[in-house]
Amino acid sequence: MRTVLALVKKEFIQVLRDHNMLRLIFLMPLIQLLILGYAINIDVKEIDTAVYDYDQSRLSRDYVRSFAAGDYFIPEKPDDIELMDLEQGFTTNRYRAALIIPEDFSENIENGKRAEVAMVFDGTNANSAGIAMGYSGLVTQQFALRESGYKPSVEMRRKILYNPDMESVYFMIPGIVVTLLTMLTSMATAMAIVREREMGTLEQLMVTPMSTPALILGKTIPFAILGYVEMSLALAFGIFWFNIPFVGSWTLLYALAFIYLLTTLGAGMFISTVTSTQQQAMFFAWFFMVFSLLTSGFFTPIENMPEVVQHLTLLNPQRFFMTIMRGIMMKDSGIAELYPQILALVIFSVVIFSFSWMRLSKRVK
Amino acid sequence: MRKIKFLALKEIRHILRDPRSLTIAVLIPILMTLLYGYAINLDIKNIKLAVMDFDRSSESRELINRFYNSGYFAPADEAAVLLAPEEVLRRGQAKAVLTVRYGFSASLVNNESFTLGLMIDGADANTASAAASYSEVILMQYLADRLPPGYDMPGINLSQVVRYNPDMKSSHFFVPGLIAVILMMISALLTSITIAREKETGTMEQLLTAPVKPIQIIAGKVIPYIGLALFDGLLVWAFAVFHFGVPMTGSCLLLLFFGVIYVIAALSLGILISALVRTQQLAMMAALVVTMLPSVMLSGFIFEIKNMPLILQGISYIIPARYFILIIRGIMLKGSGIAVLWPQAAALVLLTMVLLGIAIKKFKLKIG
Repeated sequence: MRTVLALVKKEFIQVLRDHNMLRLIFLMPLIQLLILGYAINIDVKEIDTAVYDYDQSRLSRDYVRSFAAGDYFIPEKPDDIELMDLEQGFTTNRYRAALIIPEDFSENIENGKRAEVAMVFDGTNANSAGIAMGYSGLVTQQFALRESGYKPSVEMRRKILYNPDMESVYFMIPGIVVTLLTMLTSMATAMAIVREREMGTLEQLMVTPMSTPALILGKTIPFAILGYVEMSLALAFGIFWFNIPFVGSWTLLYALAFIYLLTTLGAGMFISTVTSTQQQAMFFAWFFMVFSLLTSGFFTPIENMPEVVQHLTLLNPQRFFMTIMRGIMMKDSGIAELYPQILALVIFSVVIFSFSWMRLSKRVK
Repeated sequence: MRKIKFLALKEIRHILRDPRSLTIAVLIPILMTLLYGYAINLDIKNIKLAVMDFDRSSESRELINRFYNSGYFAPADEAAVLLAPEEVLRRGQAKAVLTVRYGFSASLVNNESFTLGLMIDGADANTASAAASYSEVILMQYLADRLPPGYDMPGINLSQVVRYNPDMKSSHFFVPGLIAVILMMISALLTSITIAREKETGTMEQLLTAPVKPIQIIAGKVIPYIGLALFDGLLVWAFAVFHFGVPMTGSCLLLLFFGVIYVIAALSLGILISALVRTQQLAMMAALVVTMLPSVMLSGFIFEIKNMPLILQGISYIIPARYFILIIRGIMLKGSGIAVLWPQAAALVLLTMVLLGIAIKKFKLKIG
């Protein structure tokens, strides 16, 4: 026990002395949190729409105005001669959609005939094009219903739980916290072990009368502590800077974070056994990160992924901790709601940590 | 020229001797392409909806069927209906719960006012707002189809056409953008590391004492990476076109031309970083923070620049990927030519010149 403590102390001194490492641990996460918190926004709104109204009647103007209601579309009459060409508006990225109202629009409606209207979308961004299509259908339907003079008797009352203002940032920050925790602990552990090997000090440690478990514990405990510090910092930043609510149990979150840390520390140990230089370790850790980030449901719902990928995500511990973090922070979920995720995480942590432990022990001996 | 050739040959040998890094340089692009092509899909479909139908009439059943047949909603687990709506959402058994109270069919027939309840899990704001607006569309359509006699609804046929990506595939959006990200990654990251490595191991001094000019050293260092970057770019491009079926409507030559300019911009960034830092580790970190993160997050690769706060929008103007992403999407999907793309092209060229200028100057200062 005393040897482990001494090693932990040594590791801390080493980390705190290394300014680059300090920057990696404290500055980079905050920058990421700031940029990501503001940049990640997949709301689709204010779609610039070119309007070609050949009818120019009261009815057609009303119809165009109904597009301006809400913040889905910004209808605009292209004033530039060049932009009168629909294609030009799209290729120069000035417009994302175009609404074309033919000259018989109001005439048809007044005569009880079907009026034809066309809407063209720039499909480059498939996601926002799809949503824009849905919105335009809604606007048209509402307009038609209003024109008929019929007041619908049935209405829908909506109640949005957990995030009534529907702020993306509430959803993203917990995800970023998980990502930072994963990145820091796995990368830093891998690099700390590989550095000792690269500099030849690992041999020196090995000839000391220290048991292998003590050596490994001494190398991992500091990063577990750093992980906790990092997580607390990021959470504090989210809560005080971005004003995200935290409604669940801190104790539960910190307890489950320990189980998760076992998997990321294990991953770091594993990376250190398959690489021989810090550069390789960093590359590897980074690669793991990208994969684990994209399949964790961080910014795209897992249900929308193809089935094969959905099954693949079950192999990603980050996916489960992401659900746990968001559940505790936003919904006050407890063990009763989260037990499938907790169970998965426990299995992962046991398997990954013990496997890496054995591999690393063999390498160290 | 011969000196540059030798330096380049030396660098190529460095690259080939480190098979692990080389594997990563080839493998990462392929895996990222598959991941972005398949896994990243922002479409919102099949939102899990639980329904509590206390009316149990043919009207309520028809409304519910419309929800499920729309493609936007999918039935939640069977067990979900046994719990209170809040509990269903908290356990994540459904993303939304629709409650049809008793009396729905009666009020429809008598034209009395009636309120349906929809409770939505707002945790994922994007899915929540989609669920809110889709449910509105479905209800509106349902009511419009059973308009009471005496009301005439103007029939407006809205025909919708999607240009450039008629099947609305997310991969057509992500994979071309990914080329920009990967070119940046390979060029900036690898060059910054290679120069930092020479410094760290002390071989930079040896090179400098040799009768070669600094500019020749840079050229020799950089040329192999231009090759590697373009190879990676081509690989992803081939994947995009042949595997994901992304159309190539514009000119290949134009794309290649701008690809080379963009790679030079990325390499300049890499050289600049390496001129400012001393160790590989630091070079790598700086490259990640200065090039990778902005190229993914602030370039319009995934997230619309228009929706960002003004400061970030301002920053995006000095990110080369921003321009190249517009260029490559324009050329591949829209068949845009230089007549349309010239503002982006000009900005990219200008940015490249500035970056290259600073890089060369900084590099000279360092040795002087």
